[in-house]
Amino acid sequence: MAKARDVPLDPFEPYAAAAARVVRVRAQELFDHAEGVLDTEDIERVHAMRVASRRLRAVLEIFAPCFPARPFRSALKDVKALADALGERRDPDVHIDAMERHAAGAPDEHGAGIALLIADQRSRQATGNEVLAAELARAQETDLDGRLQWLADHAETQIPAPAEDDPEAFEAADGELDPGFAAPADEDPETP
Amino acid sequence: MKAHRVKGLEPLAALGDNAERIVLVRLDELCAFMPRANDPEEIVALHDMRIAAKRLRYILEVTAPCFGPYAHTAVEMVKDLQDLLGEIHDCDEQTPAVMAFLADVLLQDAQALTKAAGDASDLSAKALRSAPGRETYAGLAGLGVHLQARRDLLFRRFQELWLEYERKGFRARLEFAVAERPGAITRDPGCPG
Repeated sequence: MAKARDVPLDPFEPYAAAAARVVRVRAQELFDHAEGVLDTEDIERVHAMRVASRRLRAVLEIFAPCFPARPFRSALKDVKALADALGERRDPDVHIDAMERHAAGAPDEHGAGIALLIADQRSRQATGNEVLAAELARAQETDLDGRLQWLADHAETQIPAPAEDDPEAFEAADGELDPGFAAPADEDPETP
Repeated sequence: MKAHRVKGLEPLAALGDNAERIVLVRLDELCAFMPRANDPEEIVALHDMRIAAKRLRYILEVTAPCFGPYAHTAVEMVKDLQDLLGEIHDCDEQTPAVMAFLADVLLQDAQALTKAAGDASDLSAKALRSAPGRETYAGLAGLGVHLQARRDLLFRRFQELWLEYERKGFRARLEFAVAERPGAITRDPGCPG
């Protein structure tokens, strides 16, 4: 699984500047992992994309007040839907792996029962792939990537250029932005 | 579990100050689950505590460089906690699922034996030898037993881990660390960026 790219942060920089930079990188990482993700023979691809979706969702929630509310909510909802779809596909992969390891250590006569469960998970895996394919197509149709980049651009445009003689420039408030946020309820479909 | 709203976040204020506010709220959310989650029967509280740990971990992973060095230690501690709670959650989800699967196999076999018996007045135990799923019972029941026993063991580990975090002053040290800013001493106060 690809490690997340390091995004250097300065504690003294404006929150919105960090938001723009981090969201751009994490959105790029998500879509970089999309290729070949529907290949059920290579379970690491879906895992990598799922982790990337979680990272993106997390940073969107962390930096929520830096984005205009309505387009932000729409993009977050779609990222969450994509993450859920990735979970639908990934969960059976995880269960199959765990059951195969269990079968390797359990008494021989337990093999048939475990094999039955694995067959059930294989069928869930196929269903999960269909769900994921539909969600990937929807993300493309609705230009999720473009909307995320727009959010990042918008966050950046909020930041006034600091005047040389005005060290307080960053303290100006912007009425359009939500001053506080609560991360949405988490149904948490994933397993770490 | 819905996360609490973090008040006072300002897009144009310093990242470190905003991140500090978020961490303190998420840390409080996590710690608030104890001692309730210390009860092995409190499955929902334990699940919610895992979500709280995940939220704290994510904000720390992103913003740890804005804080004192203990924030990096805390990332690893919260990750360990979240992983362990995740393992317990998997057991809590899988145990009833496997038991339901077994119950379904048993029901289908019982129906198959009844049908095969036709008009017979009674059913011999020998009939079990032709039950379609008879070879799967042991594996399914065995997995259920293993999941339950593993859950109990992991829960004990969780209790020990939390106790260790308390002994190490996890909460107080993280609260202190998020109030620190690396480079603050050498930074030119006339330069905001």
